[in-house]
Amino acid sequence: MKREKIDKIPARLDLIQSSTGLILALFIMGHILFEASILISHEMMYKVTIMFEGYYFFGETYPGIVSFLAAAVFSIFILHAGIAMRKFPASYKQYRTIKDHALSMKHEDSSLWIIQVVTGFVMFFTGSVHLYIMMTQASNIGPYASSSRVVEELMGPLYLVLLVSVVLHAFIGLYRLALKWGFMEGKSTKVSRKRFKYLMKIMIVFYLALGTLSLAKYTYIGLSHDFSDGLRYQSPDIKMETH
Amino acid sequence: MKIIYTDVLIIGGGLAGLRVATGVKERGHDAIVLTLVPPKRSHSAAAQGGMQASLANCKMGEGDNEDIHFGDTIRGSDWGADQEVARMFVHCAPKAIRELASWGVPWNRVKKGEHTSIINAQKVGIMEKEEAHGLITARDFGGTKKWRTCYTSDGTGHSMLFAVDNKAQEKKVEIHERLEAISLIHEDGRCYGAVARNLMNGELVAYVSKATTIATGGYGRIYSVSTNAVICQGMGQAIALETGIATLGNMEAIQFHPTAIVPVGILTTEGCRGDGGLLLDKDGYRFMPDYEPEKKELASRDVVSRRMTEHIRKGKGVQSRYGDHLWLDITILGREHIEKNLREVKEICENFLGIDPAVDWIPVRPTQHYSMGGIRTTHRGESQTLKGLYSCGEAACWDMHGFNRLGGNSVSETVVSGMLVSEYISDFCDSKESSVHITSSKIETFLQKEKDKLEALLTKENGEDAYILRRAMEKIMMEKVGIFRNGDDLQKAVDELEELLKRSKNIEVFRSKSRAANPALVNAYRTQKMIKLALTVALGALLREESRGAHSREDFPARDDENWLKRTITSWPDKNQTLPSVDYEEIPIGNMELPPGFRGYGKDLTIHHPKTAARVSMVEAISKKLEADGASRDEIQNALMPFLDKLPKKYRGKNERLGDNS
Amino acid sequence: MKKENANRVLKISILRFDPNNPKDFPHMQTFEVLEAEGMTLFIALNDIREHQDNSLMFDFVCRAGICGSCSMLVNGRPTLACRTLTSKLERHITLAPLPLFQLIGDLSINTGKWMRGLNGRLETWIHDKEAEFSFDKLEQKMEPELANEIYELDRCIECGCCVAGCGTIQMRPNFVGAVGLNKIARYHLDPRDKREDKDYYELVGDEEGVFGCMTLLGCEDVCPKNLPLQSKIAYLRRMMIKTSMKD
Repeated sequence: MKREKIDKIPARLDLIQSSTGLILALFIMGHILFEASILISHEMMYKVTIMFEGYYFFGETYPGIVSFLAAAVFSIFILHAGIAMRKFPASYKQYRTIKDHALSMKHEDSSLWIIQVVTGFVMFFTGSVHLYIMMTQASNIGPYASSSRVVEELMGPLYLVLLVSVVLHAFIGLYRLALKWGFMEGKSTKVSRKRFKYLMKIMIVFYLALGTLSLAKYTYIGLSHDFSDGLRYQSPDIKMETH
Repeated sequence: MKIIYTDVLIIGGGLAGLRVATGVKERGHDAIVLTLVPPKRSHSAAAQGGMQASLANCKMGEGDNEDIHFGDTIRGSDWGADQEVARMFVHCAPKAIRELASWGVPWNRVKKGEHTSIINAQKVGIMEKEEAHGLITARDFGGTKKWRTCYTSDGTGHSMLFAVDNKAQEKKVEIHERLEAISLIHEDGRCYGAVARNLMNGELVAYVSKATTIATGGYGRIYSVSTNAVICQGMGQAIALETGIATLGNMEAIQFHPTAIVPVGILTTEGCRGDGGLLLDKDGYRFMPDYEPEKKELASRDVVSRRMTEHIRKGKGVQSRYGDHLWLDITILGREHIEKNLREVKEICENFLGIDPAVDWIPVRPTQHYSMGGIRTTHRGESQTLKGLYSCGEAACWDMHGFNRLGGNSVSETVVSGMLVSEYISDFCDSKESSVHITSSKIETFLQKEKDKLEALLTKENGEDAYILRRAMEKIMMEKVGIFRNGDDLQKAVDELEELLKRSKNIEVFRSKSRAANPALVNAYRTQKMIKLALTVALGALLREESRGAHSREDFPARDDENWLKRTITSWPDKNQTLPSVDYEEIPIGNMELPPGFRGYGKDLTIHHPKTAARVSMVEAISKKLEADGASRDEIQNALMPFLDKLPKKYRGKNERLGDNS
Repeated sequence: MKKENANRVLKISILRFDPNNPKDFPHMQTFEVLEAEGMTLFIALNDIREHQDNSLMFDFVCRAGICGSCSMLVNGRPTLACRTLTSKLERHITLAPLPLFQLIGDLSINTGKWMRGLNGRLETWIHDKEAEFSFDKLEQKMEPELANEIYELDRCIECGCCVAGCGTIQMRPNFVGAVGLNKIARYHLDPRDKREDKDYYELVGDEEGVFGCMTLLGCEDVCPKNLPLQSKIAYLRRMMIKTSMKD
């Protein structure tokens, strides 16, 4: 029995990976919900937007807040990706091994992990682009501005790919997190795991549906709206000066 | 040629072998264990029910001690056991179990307060003492006066084996896996190790040692249906026999376990009945009380197996395409008990029968289970005739089981004999006698001989198919050397086996000609050896014209102490013999602590030895006098049959018990 | 058992290779076996060896699901062959040796060596330097429930199914796998083992230990003894994190 100090780094890395993942997953759950406000009305989406710009606290909007939030999320995103990357297959051979393994065993949870690897990889790029734009163009969010971005700036396809990736990655990740740490394990892991998996699947379907519908709506607005008056949405109720 | 030198060579990596290895290693000697399979896969792991040791912790074990364990063991053996050896064993069993507890075996423990048990089909409340809480508990087993069988659920052997193997690894015992000893190296009546074959690449290696220990378990696989693992083929006994010098004892003493599942012969533990399970016939009728009103399902194993066979012969068996069977009913124990204390049984029922034993009855019938016979040794575990050769565990006949072993005494024997024999071996290795005097050219002769034999098997043309011979042997043993035996069948068995033996000299390994890993080659040389063993069993059974313990002759139903209170000693001095040589060794009554008496099952047909009466009165007189003088039970025991001086010093101490009921 | 299965002719395809034969290469060979009632893969494989190809290599010992010798890939999934009833499988059965372990030949693999290495690495025995054992004294007491809990984890038979079922260890062979983590959980639970949390952290507190586990749960899904692997690995992970937060 040795008495030297233990190396705490592996424990830290594991904890950081899980906690950043959890934060990002919770963030994305909120994000897609808020964004879906467009399905209710332009006005609703506008209100949600200005809420994040601090309107209901300060009486005026500060898109800088959104920039700051985006930067924060971006940092967590980079941290998470950096740490989680060490779990990626390190070579084609390793990738082949795990893929063959999951397929020949017909093992769902192993296959789910491969999905996470692939979606994680996809998000290195799509996620980064999206987050960077949000950071730099935080003032250009709104029923028209966002729609314009989807259609005029051709972000639609990227958003679709990102949506699918992020939803799969987040909910598979949450499912795995619960199992990994023994969250609400109950008496029988067989039972609790089954429930978590069921919940995961429901959430994936729900969020994919919601996200796709929202995206469709933005696309529709983007195609039908006349942007000659600019990108700004004028609320019938809330009048304000822009900063 | 490859030669490996060591102090102690141990053939067999089950509980007994590993315990010997650990023991000699602790005494500072090098040890190498040769095993057919990784040690943790040895057949010891399959022992489910438990280990007997008179700890007397649980309520139903209260008052238990070495004397009662001794009496049960001797009666169980039908007075065939060596009483000094049995004494040594019962004295050391509590020590062994406590040592195992410190090595990590998670023995089930006594829980204070009341719990219910099923006894004789009735629910009974049992109140456990406060002070016993947390000590090792025990369950009931057949043929015992007290609840003495300590257990870990029904994976006792598994937990013991893992603990002992882990200990061996901690002690850096060298394990050579998948190495099979195929002959012993010996010269001038002294054993110097073994020639072994690497089962992975076919390499032949000579292991040269001061002492050689055979701990290869039993030889159940000479029968076509056996509860034994498929590796229990008696190769240890066979290579000892083939020296022509070492002898085997009581090979005809074969135990049939009452409750193996039909048809595959996998064991369901005696714990099923110990915990309250019942035997039922085709009408769902509980028949054992009719035959054995007192012990019922928990009579000794040999008795229950015979009663079941009798009952089936009366037409009360359940017919199936695999022959008649009876039912084992453990549904009355309740699901919770089964899932906690009989979970291996549950898994076996689910996986092999597709039934749920908490709801369904289990189809069972008596099946070959244990070999009381084996390499004949002294109480020190050393061959009586080949110096430097030791044996212990089921492989040996030292002889604590006589003609029937009690359930729970087998795993117990493995560790106890391992503890003791490792000390005796260490003493031997410490002495000058142990020095090795064999030239390397002699060793090479042994290696070459084995090489030639293997080559012959691979290159022979128009020879015999080993599988055909082996199946024929198994069938003969099943049909003619079974639970009930008779002279006519046994004579036929011996004749037919002798014929098989002659044919087996002409075995050819067809098609599969690899010199490396080659299952066909392995089967060929093992079949030759197994037929020899089968002959020692059948011939011993034919010649023994009495019924004793598990050896039951329909034509000689009485136990005949006058003519047969002796051990069968078999050897094979000339390799051209087609039958083994048989000799006998008297079991002296004059120093028996428990002189021959009635076992208490069925009618007493015993033909007593003329000296029995004298010894009985002598024992009574000594006991009475000493009791009157206020002597302790140990003092009385010592006056009747001293044994402590035979034990290694460290094991002579008195065993502590709760409340010290010494 | 279903009646219609009684007379099926099974097609058993086996991945064969004899590493001792320089001319041999891995290939599939298919055998036909007439199914019998209650037939297990133990019976079927022995039937093939005895009547069709006596060179076929495989390992069985207890043939009762107790010893862990006969683990192999049955239709791609690791399991104990001895207790696999053919009636529960389709007519065409594929058998292959477990990956990762040294191949002895055909379906026979050297799990023993691997497990011995693992046990040596994790020192899977009771560590107690101060223990004063007396052969004559009463044994140390232990709570009955605790003894049961230890036994629950002690039931591992080292069959290697969890190793073969684990995607992580397939990619990173130095990972201890569920078998190793379960053993650590078992000794950690055992008060007779005096190792401290830190000692265990040194053994498995890294990415070849508990933090290497990616919770793919192949182990949990294939363990023939239904050991609570998922739960125990989660427990170990929490315990290791706690240990890392101390001092």
